[in-house]
Amino acid sequence: MIVPLAHVLVLAAILFGLGLVCTLVWRSNVIMLLIGIEIMLNAAMLVFVGGSNHWGAADGQVFALVIMAMTSAEVSLALALVVYLHRRKNTVDVDEFRELRD
Amino acid sequence: MKTYLELIILLPLLGGIVNALLGGRLLPRRASEFLACAVIWGSFAATVAAALAYKAQTSVEIATWLSDFDFKAPLTLYLDPLSLSLCLMITFVCALIHTYAVGYMKEDPSYVRFFALLNLFVAAMLLLVLAENLPLLYLGWEGVGFCSYALIGFWYTDPKNATAGRKAFIVTRIGDTGLGIAVVWLFELLGTESIPHLNQMGHLLPTGIVTALGLLLLLAAMGKSAQVPLMVWLPDAMAGPTPVSAQIHAATMVTAGVYLLMRMFPLIGTSPTVVAAIAITGAVTAFYGASCAVVQRDLKRILAYSTISQIGYMMMGVGAGAITASTFHLLVHAFFKALLFLGAGCVITAMHHEQDIFRMGGLRRTLPGTFWPFLAGALCLAGVPLTGGFFSKDGILGAVWLKGGMLYGGLYVAGLITALITAFYTFRMVLIVFGGEIPLNPPFIKGEVKTLPRIMEWPLIPLALLGLFGGLLNLPEYLGNGFLHSFLAQPGGNEQALPHTTELLLQGVAAVVAVTGIVAAWLRYGGERRVKSLAKEQQPASGIAAFLLEGWRLDALYDLLIVRPYTRLSSFLWQKLDEGVVDDSLDRTAALFGRCGRWIGSRGQGRVSLSLLGMAVGAALTLFWLAWVVL
Repeated sequence: MIVPLAHVLVLAAILFGLGLVCTLVWRSNVIMLLIGIEIMLNAAMLVFVGGSNHWGAADGQVFALVIMAMTSAEVSLALALVVYLHRRKNTVDVDEFRELRD
Repeated sequence: MKTYLELIILLPLLGGIVNALLGGRLLPRRASEFLACAVIWGSFAATVAAALAYKAQTSVEIATWLSDFDFKAPLTLYLDPLSLSLCLMITFVCALIHTYAVGYMKEDPSYVRFFALLNLFVAAMLLLVLAENLPLLYLGWEGVGFCSYALIGFWYTDPKNATAGRKAFIVTRIGDTGLGIAVVWLFELLGTESIPHLNQMGHLLPTGIVTALGLLLLLAAMGKSAQVPLMVWLPDAMAGPTPVSAQIHAATMVTAGVYLLMRMFPLIGTSPTVVAAIAITGAVTAFYGASCAVVQRDLKRILAYSTISQIGYMMMGVGAGAITASTFHLLVHAFFKALLFLGAGCVITAMHHEQDIFRMGGLRRTLPGTFWPFLAGALCLAGVPLTGGFFSKDGILGAVWLKGGMLYGGLYVAGLITALITAFYTFRMVLIVFGGEIPLNPPFIKGEVKTLPRIMEWPLIPLALLGLFGGLLNLPEYLGNGFLHSFLAQPGGNEQALPHTTELLLQGVAAVVAVTGIVAAWLRYGGERRVKSLAKEQQPASGIAAFLLEGWRLDALYDLLIVRPYTRLSSFLWQKLDEGVVDDSLDRTAALFGRCGRWIGSRGQGRVSLSLLGMAVGAALTLFWLAWVVL
């Protein structure tokens, strides 16, 4: 393994920051928000795998697999929600859905 | 022997289960009825076979049942003279009643439920009688209680019948509590549940504990056998179909309490307090039942009160230590009381379901097939000399006389007075129902008495013969030794016999009393005076008659003392405590949290992106703080 842990962590931090910015900025589309979340999750997964490699323990890789399974479930559910939201208000703008306030 | 004993119980159980599962849709009506009767007759045949093969007391273990460390209650049946004679009586009487019920329930659509429950009842009753240990006996005890409840409320669409069933169930439950405590306590004290073992270990216990146990068992017997003060359920239990009244509430189940006391007598009989309490309960109940029966106008209620009274005699016999005399009366009473109930069922069917005796009359000519057996039963109940009822009742009174002393002397006098009233009310009933002419204002047109199916009249005949000649089972000693007496005699038992002259004298007194009662009834209701007496009694009852008509107003008393305070307490706990305090405080707490949530919500903007930004900023701040602390 030539890639040192520090490089992996820097890459993961950049990815996480990109995902976060995507989530915060692109508010006119719920789907972009979901993609941002996916990127952040992948960044976390990268940290797990890198750590697992660095310390020679398999736990991190197992955890990465678990996160994959969880995200696939989450995405399928979230996309169904998006379809439902679109059907209700004919838009996918995040700020249109503010009924929780009252 | 093992096969016979298994068959005795399993046949009725099988009949009940098959009828319950397959009856109605898969079995035609005839097959259902035939099966229900055949299994009981089969059980009777097995009992006869067991009686012929009987040599000595045997207990047969069929299977294991309850077992936990030291506690063992296997499915063990115990056959001794007492349980054998009771089994013979139960299977025979129940078989006749089942046969009769085929005729009685001819037009009822729910015959499947009826016969299944009736069979199940017989199985439970036989289990109760044959059980070798107390938990098994308790199983049978509750089994008969359940069947009794379900059959009293058989026509449950009428709320009155359903209430009568519930009343019977709840009142007997009070007694069952006593039995339950006694069963557990006996195991804790002696480490076994086997009845024969318990009976041999009585001397290990101090008298005080034996007394307490005896009183608990007496409480159980009071509930099941309708003794004062728990007898209020039996008159209402007449709401069930008449075969049920004959089988459960006259011949078999109500004598279970007496049987329990007889079974456990070697254990509890050593306490003089218990014995006296049993005797006093019996005498009071005998008098109570007889006094109430005098003024009733419902045919079945008269018989119900007379059952209460006759079981009182049996209890009195147990209290005098005369197990044989008590058993003898139990058997003979089962024959003649089943006969009277079945006869009453014939009368009621013939009168188109009319039960008021004041609307009957002259049936001796229109229903001769019912009249003659009914008269035989009435003679037995009244204790006319040379009938079975005379010898059995006299056996008990003789035993009470033999005990002597103030207490038992008083009880003897009470028994004699009761016998006088018994003879009077019995023949009041017979003379009003069968004597005179059919009244002019009947609910049906004169002469239109319904014809009865043959199957309802022939079971009366063997019962009448058994009632009349039941005395032969246990003749007094001066006429040769009694069969039951030598059969039931426990090894080492100490039942003394009266001197012959005393016994003859006592029987003479009893005979005079019985005849006096009948003559008094004749003077009031016979011949010309009938119309006048009836007109007087048709008026709404007042004073002491009303008091007796309502069973000494005990229902009202219990309502005032127990039911109403209980209802009030329940409604207080429900409306004030549960709904007012517990539910209300929870509701208010929940409402408070809801208001807080709404207040916080109204402050925010409700925009998802803003929340996300807030979260990100918060997370960043936390990270910075952590970094600052660590570095």
